[in-house]
Amino acid sequence: MLKIDNLHATIADKPILKGLDLSVNAGEIHAIMGPNGAGKSTLGYVLGGRAGYEVTEGAVTFDGKDLLDMGADERAAAGLFLGFQYPVEIPGVSNVQFLRTALNAQRRARGDEEMSAGDFLRLSRAQADALGMSMDMMKRPVNVGFSGGEKKRNEMVQMGILDPKLAILDETDSGLDIDALRVVGDGINRIMRKPDKAVLLITHYQRLLEIVEPDFVHVLAAGRIVRSGGAELALELEREGYGAIAA
Amino acid sequence: MSLLELPSNREERWRWSDLSALPEIAARAPSGQMPERLPWLDCATPGPRLLFVDGRLVADASEPGDVALGTVEAPVGEDALGRLVGSEGWTLRLGSGHAPLGLVQVIHVSTGAADHLPARIELDVDAQASIVETFLGDGWTNRLTRITLFKGARLMLSRRILTASGYVSLSDRVAVGEGASFVLTTLAGGGADTRFDGEVHLAGNAGFAEVGGALLARGRQRHDANLVIRHEQPNGQSRQVWRSVADDQATCSVAARVEVARGAQKTDGEQSLKGLLLSRTATINAKPELEIFADDVKCAHGATVGELNRDALFYLASRGIAPAEAKALLTASFVADAIERIGEEDVRTAFLDDANAWLAHGGAQS
Ligand SMILES: Nc1ncnc2c1ncn2[C@@H]1O[C@H](COP(=O)(O)OP(=O)(O)OP(=O)(O)O)[C@@H](O)[C@H]1O
Ligand SMILES: [Mg+2]
Repeated sequence: MLKIDNLHATIADKPILKGLDLSVNAGEIHAIMGPNGAGKSTLGYVLGGRAGYEVTEGAVTFDGKDLLDMGADERAAAGLFLGFQYPVEIPGVSNVQFLRTALNAQRRARGDEEMSAGDFLRLSRAQADALGMSMDMMKRPVNVGFSGGEKKRNEMVQMGILDPKLAILDETDSGLDIDALRVVGDGINRIMRKPDKAVLLITHYQRLLEIVEPDFVHVLAAGRIVRSGGAELALELEREGYGAIAA
Repeated sequence: MSLLELPSNREERWRWSDLSALPEIAARAPSGQMPERLPWLDCATPGPRLLFVDGRLVADASEPGDVALGTVEAPVGEDALGRLVGSEGWTLRLGSGHAPLGLVQVIHVSTGAADHLPARIELDVDAQASIVETFLGDGWTNRLTRITLFKGARLMLSRRILTASGYVSLSDRVAVGEGASFVLTTLAGGGADTRFDGEVHLAGNAGFAEVGGALLARGRQRHDANLVIRHEQPNGQSRQVWRSVADDQATCSVAARVEVARGAQKTDGEQSLKGLLLSRTATINAKPELEIFADDVKCAHGATVGELNRDALFYLASRGIAPAEAKALLTASFVADAIERIGEEDVRTAFLDDANAWLAHGGAQS
């Protein structure tokens, strides 16, 4: 589904990703761990198509198509979802308005019919309920005044409504209390653990991986994948730290 | 209009205006070409309706009700453009204890030439009115409105300028009496250049005035608002909330002034002038001014000019919203601050729709 080949990327001419290879198949969940500043969020932004992140070398295909050639909105319409480490506040635009605009924009881009207001309301209510978010919060401006944990929950509600093929979730677990971690983890499994979907889970902690069990764990350090393994690699990292492995 | 004498840019109050097209428009003959549709609002409580085409009442499309037509009782002032209006116009005078009117709607269509029209609004003790004025066409529409609100009277005046091209100049002279309330909301959402001149006197104790709006400009359009609110008595409150959006080579300018006279203690004044530049070649001028001669006064003013937030644009894009739509959505939310002050839902919704239509038009072009 996703094939990253020798990816090099810079921010303001500073090299951050330095020859990253990764292959993700449908039905797989990959965890990406690594020290602060290694380039994990950068990888998410490059895949998401954020301006200012320049790819200097390498290729990325998504379902066989050249991902890097697509605009950020086209990538979303093609089924890519980026869960933000720091979700953005948008004053003056309500969550429901934002999501309905987004969902219908994706549907139009795929040549599908727009969803009616009634169907959308039912869908958003079901997804908000499943993640323990009130409809009151759905009517508030996007992320404005939300706590850190509420913002992350909101990301998952969005993922549930947009129903992507590939989710790149950047530290969705950070800022969550123990109960919320369970709710969010269950949400990821419910929405994404399907034979035709895949997840790239960026995290610092083993706790989330106990709920969302990864098929593969990769260590990203200094802009490259330096080690890959199964779920047991996360445990090893937790015990021994990055020092020994990433050095 | 051979005697057309216009102010020059050398005058401070006119330095951001460009009146150079006016003599040519004033020399034209009206085309008589009417817009396809007149946007009367369907509202819960309909009231008087007036249709003016090139400054003349179209009687069979109007239902004046309590509005009087004919000579407007008002001395000619010194307004540079307002003094051109002549004497025949419309007057709304409501006596004290008058039963509430429905929404008063006035549509002004200009078919290519210049037209000038005075209006007089006088609300006696505790009278209330809500008026919507809509401007259409492609000439020069020039208006002078004199407003007097007696004790406890309330006026909500909402104006939308949807004029496709040409010029719209609106001058207002307002006196707000004791405990009276004046709310003027303006949307410049057409293709014409505009000039707004407002002078509001809070002449009684605890008067309230709110003068604000949204200025949307693209191409080489220019909007220019020049406002003064004078607090002459204690306990007054005033708000000036303006949102300017400029794209391409357009210019929006807002000069908003609050004056607090010596005895006007406990005055509460707020100015919020915000500008959004949609292109690096556009210009926004925001000039908040305070002149305070009383000591126990609360006046807050803020003026900011910025661009669309890049993080927000990427966030919207990452959810599948294309750049033009994302831009329109964020711009609409920026503008909504100023339009949401309109009290009646029917009117507010119509104005928000007009602003969105303007923004969508830009999206289709770019
Ligand atoms: N706008 C920017 N300008 C310059 N350098 C940047 C910019 N954004 C990120 N960087 C740098 O890129 C490097 C990688 O950052 P990135 O956010 O991808 O790290 P990360 O692996 O996600 O770290 P963390 O675990 O702390 O979230 C860091 O050294 C960071 O300082
Ligand atoms: Mg990060």
